[in-house]
Amino acid sequence: MIRHLFKLIWNRKRSNFLLITEIFFCFLVLFAVLSLIVYNVRNYNKPLGFEHENVWLLSMRPDTDSTALNRQTLEQIMQRAKGFQEIESMALTNSNAPFAFSQMNNQLSYGEKMIMANEYLVQDDFDKVMRMQVSHGRWFGQQDNASHHYPIVINRAMQQQLFEGEDPLGKLLHRNDSSNYQVVGVVEHYRPSSEYTAEEPGFFNRIQLPRDEKDFYGELLIKVKPGMGVEFEEKMVKELSGIGKGWTMEVTTLEKMRQNKAKVAKVPMIALTIICVFLILNVALGLFGVLWYNISRRNSEIGLRRAVGAASSQVYRQFIGEVLVLATFGLVLGVAFAIQFPLLQVFEVESTVYLIALGIAIGLIYLLAIGCAFYPSRQAAAIHPAMALHEE
Amino acid sequence: MITLKNIEKVYQTKTIETVALHNVNLHIPKGEFVSVMGPSGCGKSTLLNIMGLLDEPTNGIVEIDGLPISRYKDKELAHIRNQKLGFVFQSYHLINDLSVLDNVELPLLYRTGVSAAETRRLALTALEKVGLSARTKHYPTQLSGGQRQRVAIARALIGQPEIILADEPTGNLDSVMGEEIMNILLNLNRHDGTTIVMVTHDENMAQKTERLIRFFDGQQVSDAKTTAFDYQKV
Ligand SMILES: Nc1ncnc2c1ncn2[C@@H]1O[C@H](COP(=O)(O)OP(=O)(O)O)[C@@H](O)[C@H]1O
Ligand SMILES: [Mg+2]
Repeated sequence: MIRHLFKLIWNRKRSNFLLITEIFFCFLVLFAVLSLIVYNVRNYNKPLGFEHENVWLLSMRPDTDSTALNRQTLEQIMQRAKGFQEIESMALTNSNAPFAFSQMNNQLSYGEKMIMANEYLVQDDFDKVMRMQVSHGRWFGQQDNASHHYPIVINRAMQQQLFEGEDPLGKLLHRNDSSNYQVVGVVEHYRPSSEYTAEEPGFFNRIQLPRDEKDFYGELLIKVKPGMGVEFEEKMVKELSGIGKGWTMEVTTLEKMRQNKAKVAKVPMIALTIICVFLILNVALGLFGVLWYNISRRNSEIGLRRAVGAASSQVYRQFIGEVLVLATFGLVLGVAFAIQFPLLQVFEVESTVYLIALGIAIGLIYLLAIGCAFYPSRQAAAIHPAMALHEE
Repeated sequence: MITLKNIEKVYQTKTIETVALHNVNLHIPKGEFVSVMGPSGCGKSTLLNIMGLLDEPTNGIVEIDGLPISRYKDKELAHIRNQKLGFVFQSYHLINDLSVLDNVELPLLYRTGVSAAETRRLALTALEKVGLSARTKHYPTQLSGGQRQRVAIARALIGQPEIILADEPTGNLDSVMGEEIMNILLNLNRHDGTTIVMVTHDENMAQKTERLIRFFDGQQVSDAKTTAFDYQKV
């Protein structure tokens, strides 16, 4: 019977062409949107590598151009901040703080190998502020002051790309300006960009104020004690503004920044999903319409099948089966197309993401097909054979 | 083979009530070739549909092979149609998207336990019987009316039914083609012993069968052996 259905659909391919094409495109759009969603959801479920609860970001903009002067004021501000009971720890960072809309990367080489990695410039206490877990080696600190190299902590993603099986500790990396970096530690994860972003290779480099005389860092990550709110924020900003007169100071929580970043990822996802739903509805209506219209055209066939021994339920199953076969034709084309993405690695996305999206899209298309065929098929099964065969 | 007792068929629509059959009593023994004649609208098709279990009588009893058919489930009726009955229609009712061979195979797709190879073999035999062995891969639209009706007959006989119900099988054909169809049916009746009930408008055709029943306005008006019958049996 299944062979019979395939034959029937195949022989009717001309009139079914439009439906098959619609299913094909519907599948591709579904596949694309689902790939995006699966990609995001999978990233979301992976560890970020840090804890952002009770961490605030204080952004300071000085009012003068004199770095020396600004550094002096900054020193005083930090001294004062350390005096607050409510603050557990703090660390200056470059503008690419967690969940910030800012990125910085650098090309490093190890032997023959080159890598483009995110560089996070942070002060020694960053690991305490963000609760970083070093899985191999150690975080950098005072003991590195005497080192001739820049001590860096790399994430696992960077280790895998650069060192594979080798132990990265103590290894020297070079930048094209011939600075040398030495790996002192490895963290399992660090995904500061957003919860929906995949892990990228990255490393932490040390901010050493006394040494980097020309640099100014105006972003301060502050870990406050639990339960601190607007009240303390106002008090802190007021006092610190008293030291940095004329400076602009803004405080935001990493939680707020996280939400902003999440929105940026979610909005296109939701918009695409809505477009996708409308498209599917459209295809569903079309499919339903054609199936409905076909029944009246196939009256004679239905009557004949009943006459030669088909029960009403068999007519029903045949009509459902035909739509499934039709969907299968569209899906075969669609999958042949979609499978190119993981095969050719068009984007740097794990194949698993595509395979999951593929599976869900196939399931949804079949569901859609059955959903559209359900009522017309029931109608076809209800046709009285004598009526269907009636001729004037 | 087929017995009808006090058959009554009333079509009820919103505005009118049509009595299509009234008090029909008939017995058709095994192996008989019966023709049914009567003016348009007198209930001939309705009679065949009721014999063929495609329609239910409003009142009365239908017996096939001694089995009274009443309160049968749709599935059981379909099974009996598949096993015992073959249909031939005036307008062939072939499926245009299927090849001649696939059309002929159709009844066996609804029969369990027949392999694809066996189905193919039986279809080829049936097509040979109607002289269409050379047209198996054609599609219905590529055939003449007479050829199409031969395909329909091959489809009706592939399942080796005991009864063939033919509703004006030559109605759309010219006399030469009609003659061919008639000969095939006569052959089936004589050599395979198939019981045939045929509705026709052609007096000559009717006279070639054994028995002729005339209808008028839903009622039998005559039922007699034909001259062919006497001739045949002598
Ligand atoms: N489904 C139906 N609904 C209402 N009336 C019908 C239906 N089928 C047949 N009839 C009526 O029943 C009568 C007998 O029809 P039919 O058996 O087709 O006649 P015949 O085959 O002898 O021309 C006609 O008057 C026809 O109009
Ligand atoms: Mg008729």
